[in-house]
Amino acid sequence: MSALMADPSRDQRMPVGLTVNGRQIRARVEPRTHLGDLVRDSLDLTGTHLGCEHGICGACTILLDGEPARACLTFAGACEGASVTTIEGLDDDEIAGELRAAFNREHALQCGYCTPGMLVAARDLVLRLPEPDERRIRAGLSGNLCRCTGYVGIVRAVRGVIADRRARGIPAGGQGGERGDERGGDKRGLGPVGARIGTAATAAARTPLAQPVQASAPAAAPVRAEIAPDFRPAQSFAQDFSVSHPPEAVFALFGDVAAVAACLPGAVLSGAPSSDRVEGGLEVRIGPISALFRGRARIERDEAARSGRILGAGSDAGGRSTTEGEIRYRVGPGTVPGTAKVELAVGYTLKGPLAQFGRPGLVRDLAGRLTAEFARNLEARLAGKPAPEAAPGLNPLRLLLDLLRARWAAWRGRS
Amino acid sequence: MKPAPFAFERPRDLAALLDRLAEVEGAVKLIAGGQSLGPMLNLRLVEPGLVIDITGIPELRQARLDGDSLVLGACVTHADIEDGRVPDVTGGAMARVASAIAYRPVRNRGTVGGSLVHADPAADWVTALTALGAEVEIAGRSGRRRLALEDFVTGALDVALEPGEILAAVRIPALPPSAAWGYVKHCAKLGEFAHAIGAVRLEPGAGTGRAVIGAIERAPLLFADARPLFGGRIGADFAGRFDAAAADAALRSAGMADPVDRHVHVTVLARAVAQAARPAAHPAPVTSQRLIEAA
Repeated sequence: MSALMADPSRDQRMPVGLTVNGRQIRARVEPRTHLGDLVRDSLDLTGTHLGCEHGICGACTILLDGEPARACLTFAGACEGASVTTIEGLDDDEIAGELRAAFNREHALQCGYCTPGMLVAARDLVLRLPEPDERRIRAGLSGNLCRCTGYVGIVRAVRGVIADRRARGIPAGGQGGERGDERGGDKRGLGPVGARIGTAATAAARTPLAQPVQASAPAAAPVRAEIAPDFRPAQSFAQDFSVSHPPEAVFALFGDVAAVAACLPGAVLSGAPSSDRVEGGLEVRIGPISALFRGRARIERDEAARSGRILGAGSDAGGRSTTEGEIRYRVGPGTVPGTAKVELAVGYTLKGPLAQFGRPGLVRDLAGRLTAEFARNLEARLAGKPAPEAAPGLNPLRLLLDLLRARWAAWRGRS
Repeated sequence: MKPAPFAFERPRDLAALLDRLAEVEGAVKLIAGGQSLGPMLNLRLVEPGLVIDITGIPELRQARLDGDSLVLGACVTHADIEDGRVPDVTGGAMARVASAIAYRPVRNRGTVGGSLVHADPAADWVTALTALGAEVEIAGRSGRRRLALEDFVTGALDVALEPGEILAAVRIPALPPSAAWGYVKHCAKLGEFAHAIGAVRLEPGAGTGRAVIGAIERAPLLFADARPLFGGRIGADFAGRFDAAAADAALRSAGMADPVDRHVHVTVLARAVAQAARPAAHPAPVTSQRLIEAA
């Protein structure tokens, strides 16, 4: 694990004190260490399984201050003073014992990978559901993926335990709870479970700010090969905008690659472009996500039809996300004489982690904002005025500064 | 699937946080429950140099009534609302929305403020609280300002926070018993981000109402005056007057070109209208209700 390999001169680890399965522990963790890694790697509590590590599969579900939480989405350093219960800590728990017997009886597991998280989620349902309502049990287990059983045995097991306990006169925990019910009457404060309101100890938790990782020189970033000749976009959309200058002037400007790049927020050229080939980068930002794509493009122009086609391929700095795309444009007359309407048809394919997150609609929304700004800059340039100040986050100048400083982009602190 | 290294701080109060935000350089990200930011950090889609945990700040973990309005600190969780640990000014409407967000372990840590600042267009609160007419309270070193939620969410994952500002609280006006409320989302899998959301807050007695079409991969489409969706008049008979063609036209002019997408969103909005017309048929919990709604 990276915590063990950390350079001692840049030790970012911070102390954290937790109660794990009833035992007080003190550990030094990296800020990025989540509870799943802490319990598995430092405490040898390997019953907590890590599956997707982004909160979807539920395998890492543990109890945090007695309530289920995703271990993979909870940083250990944010939980000073909290109580953590893993599946190992439920060995002597009455409800977990009944669930284990029921899972056994109903064949509610096969490979067992989802089972620790499934038992924690199931225990929570036993505590909260007043009746063994199958629909609510299925809804309640929807955050725990099982790829073996088809859920039938699991649902039957949970239903059986709830029915049995209610038949024995043990009611579900009410809100806030009453003595004698499933929850034993504890009151919860507001806010995320496991996160204690500021104490001196937690307030002192300040790790030194990391030295920026030196950005790999832009030239050294992998430049993707040119777009495949048989490129077919996975996503496509159309946009248009109007410019208050004649079509021939607009089309002429589109022939000047450097001028077009200067109007496109986030775009930087490397080297002098020729009329049909360009190399450079485009920084895109969607909320806190920032990616700098570098690559090459081929440009085709049809003077007679006042149309053109730009075909490009690129990859982000780490080379993890790649894209191929095509923009077709046509400059026609606008509604008012002396004005132009520019029609864009965009097609692209995105692969890698960014694609996992970048839902097509979000890219369209981003493209809409980029196009609006491009149109404003184009208008200013055609009018011979300096480009209006770019919106925050889309300023190529700032982009260059960022690149010098670090490969972290300077998105604003939010969240 | 491990985040890139970052530094971590956990200020004790709001003033310390705002001072720190003013002085710190580089990429800073605030974290509350971490249920949206966590996956992005783990996927290394976001690589901040510094993460500041705001959950230790007492003021952000409070809920109070201010007149008829509910004021929720940014770090109040979905489960807090679901379980009724905060006052209810919406006749259970917010609790029903909360109970159907993602999964219980996520709701135990995910916060209302984090969800709004993250501004995922498919998230529940972005649409539901816009329909309820909520405002956000933004704190900066120079003071506080309020903004209507529809002006706060400026696009997909984009909000109107200036550098150094944070979302401190959300103000939700009371939903009077005379108001009709409907909220329906469509998910292919329970708990995932919605593919379509419809929300209506109508006052048939006063002849007014708001409607919102959400999960459209940009800021929600708000009808601040929903009368055009009901043939120009909102009365007791509003359910029968819902004009699907008007909703379809609005989506078309908002740029939704695909007729199938428009059909899904209009249908979900129509279901929200129908739900508002017969609230008694839609008791809590929404978690089980939603299986029917989404079908």
